[in-house]
Amino acid sequence: DRAPGGPTSMMHSGISQAREYDDPPGLHEKSEYLLREWVNMYHSPAAGRDSSKAFQVFVQQMHQQGILKTDDLITRFFRLCTEMCVDLCYRALSEASHNPTLLRAKCFHTLDAYVRLIALLVKHSGDATNTVTKINLLNKVLGIIVGVLLQDHEVRGTDFQQLPYHRLFIMLLLELNAPEHVLESINFQVLTAFCNTFHILRPSKAPGFAYAWLELVSHRVFIARMLALTSNQKLGVNKSVSSVLQGWGMYAQLLIDLFKFLAPFLRNVELTKPMQLLYKGTLRVLLVLLHDFPEFLCDYHYSFVDVIPPNCIQMRNLILSAFPRNMRLPDPFTPNLKVDMLPEINHPPRILTNFAALIQPSSFKKDLDTYLKTRAPVTFLSDLRSNLQVSTEPGLCYNISLMNALVLYVGTQAITYIHTKGSTPSMNTITHSAHMDIFQNLAVDLDTEGRYLFLNAIANQLRYPNSHTHYFSCTLLYLFAEANSEAIQEQITRVLLERLIVNRPHPWGLLITFIELIKNPTFKFWNHDFVHCAPEIEKLFESVARSCMQQKQP
Amino acid sequence: GVAPLGPVPLSKDNVYGLGMLEASYHHMPHPSDSEKLRQYLPRNPCPTPPYYPQHPLPHSDSLEFFTRLSTETLFFIFYYLEGTKAQYLAAKALKKQSWRFHTKYMMWFQRHEEPKTITDEYEQGTYIYFDYEKWGQRKKEGFTFEYRYLEDRDLQ
Repeated sequence: DRAPGGPTSMMHSGISQAREYDDPPGLHEKSEYLLREWVNMYHSPAAGRDSSKAFQVFVQQMHQQGILKTDDLITRFFRLCTEMCVDLCYRALSEASHNPTLLRAKCFHTLDAYVRLIALLVKHSGDATNTVTKINLLNKVLGIIVGVLLQDHEVRGTDFQQLPYHRLFIMLLLELNAPEHVLESINFQVLTAFCNTFHILRPSKAPGFAYAWLELVSHRVFIARMLALTSNQKLGVNKSVSSVLQGWGMYAQLLIDLFKFLAPFLRNVELTKPMQLLYKGTLRVLLVLLHDFPEFLCDYHYSFVDVIPPNCIQMRNLILSAFPRNMRLPDPFTPNLKVDMLPEINHPPRILTNFAALIQPSSFKKDLDTYLKTRAPVTFLSDLRSNLQVSTEPGLCYNISLMNALVLYVGTQAITYIHTKGSTPSMNTITHSAHMDIFQNLAVDLDTEGRYLFLNAIANQLRYPNSHTHYFSCTLLYLFAEANSEAIQEQITRVLLERLIVNRPHPWGLLITFIELIKNPTFKFWNHDFVHCAPEIEKLFESVARSCMQQKQP
Repeated sequence: GVAPLGPVPLSKDNVYGLGMLEASYHHMPHPSDSEKLRQYLPRNPCPTPPYYPQHPLPHSDSLEFFTRLSTETLFFIFYYLEGTKAQYLAAKALKKQSWRFHTKYMMWFQRHEEPKTITDEYEQGTYIYFDYEKWGQRKKEGFTFEYRYLEDRDLQ
């Protein structure tokens, strides 16, 4: 893909060509004439189905005007047409006195015609079976539109308008996803091209385009094409399982782009109205994904939660509540529910993030592996804190990504280790090992901020019934039971409780762990001071306890 | 608190991003921006009182629902919502009620009585048709319906 002349390089050359202005004399006039001709032909009743008749005539005109002579001229023609379409929209939108519906119709009149022209040129470039030419042309044109957009965004600043670009992208996406054989055969490369386009235009790069961007990324046709194929197990001729997973990976990247843009504002709880709206839109997309593609959220939960700030409880709960559709979760409120008897808790969840590779530097990873194998040297434990610490500024002390990776890696290694000993993870088998040494050390040695991040990293694994959920549930309860100070117990309670007092959904493993904590007398939960520190906290515990203890109505 | 790790000063890029987002908030994408141009019934969102229905009835996008609509409603949908799922469902419902589309006149016809003549190429008799220009049903006696103008695709 990244080979010289491959689709990605076509896109990047398109982006840079959007800034070249040394056009041969007369090309602008020619392009303007041709675009106007095409718009008229597109709207004429004689255009034929899908403009096919008009297109045949128009290609002749392009030949006559010499546009199709070289690739350079074709590229310039697309750049000039894009700029003309954009200019037309700016002019229309500035006519404030007119009816807004008419203004939009005026913009769409030209934009839709231009989109059809691009779609037809892509479809008919090269011969019918030559997919390379078609995909290269598509990437080139998308690159040009991206280039024009980025420049427009930079030059106009706050006067930037999303409309022309939004319309061009969505209509082109819809045209190229029509049920036609020639399009089906290049569908995966078409989607890849759009994903690359959207990634380049991510909100942190083009914030003035963020709303249109979210509309594009969450469009029902785009989501369906990117994610739906595996869910009904219908793989088309050119769709292999690996290309479907690639599709999931690309879509996950776009969500990560969105979370990364939101993160600093959400973290600070500085939510202006525009930011609130973008956040609300994000929640909506997540709800759709949770309902329609829960397996996708399951598989990428790690990468998502890694970039979502710790205070975004509900957003994180949406992701952590996802579970495979073929699974039936036992009601966490069932009295005497025996979690360790569930067959699912022996199966590891699928994690499509290479979290082990996130443990950096490699020397630290090597020391970690040595310690897990030999339980030595003890200095590894005492150095742990400094390895995780990146600054002394409050709120920014720790490398959260490294903390998350460390916790999940040590946990998965522990599960493997217990299995090799012919046993299964339980409150008794997880103790007294190199793995638990690390966890106990982190619980005791870290300061409040570090411990909060550490406990959150554990709680992020409390999801549907699987081996990770079970292992980390036991680990958290063990850390509570063995804590040498009430501060640790208070923080464990806090992390669990703050994830439960928000509105639904609540992850299954989280509920299971909290119910166990308050119900099982071995934890002496109700004897702790922090439970009774303030009347409103006490009431809160009682109400949570009541809802946890209550028998399910038949 | 809601920000357990405390606030962190926003970077220059963050401040720029927030400013650009705020500016674009004043010209948000419109629902019509990402759908085909609706020539006759463009979207026109406006605030409606909450005690009016805000959403269409459930299952109103099913053929079953469309068969319960009046023929005039179906004709309206057919001519004014071109290229939509609603148009497709309206055509299906009309066909179910024995209306047939004439591809030359672009109008729907229904037999008023058994045709006087039926050959392999045409049938002739009295028909009711819907005139979209006068917007009403008309009767036509002695009309020849040539089968080559009969729209007979099986709508799946």
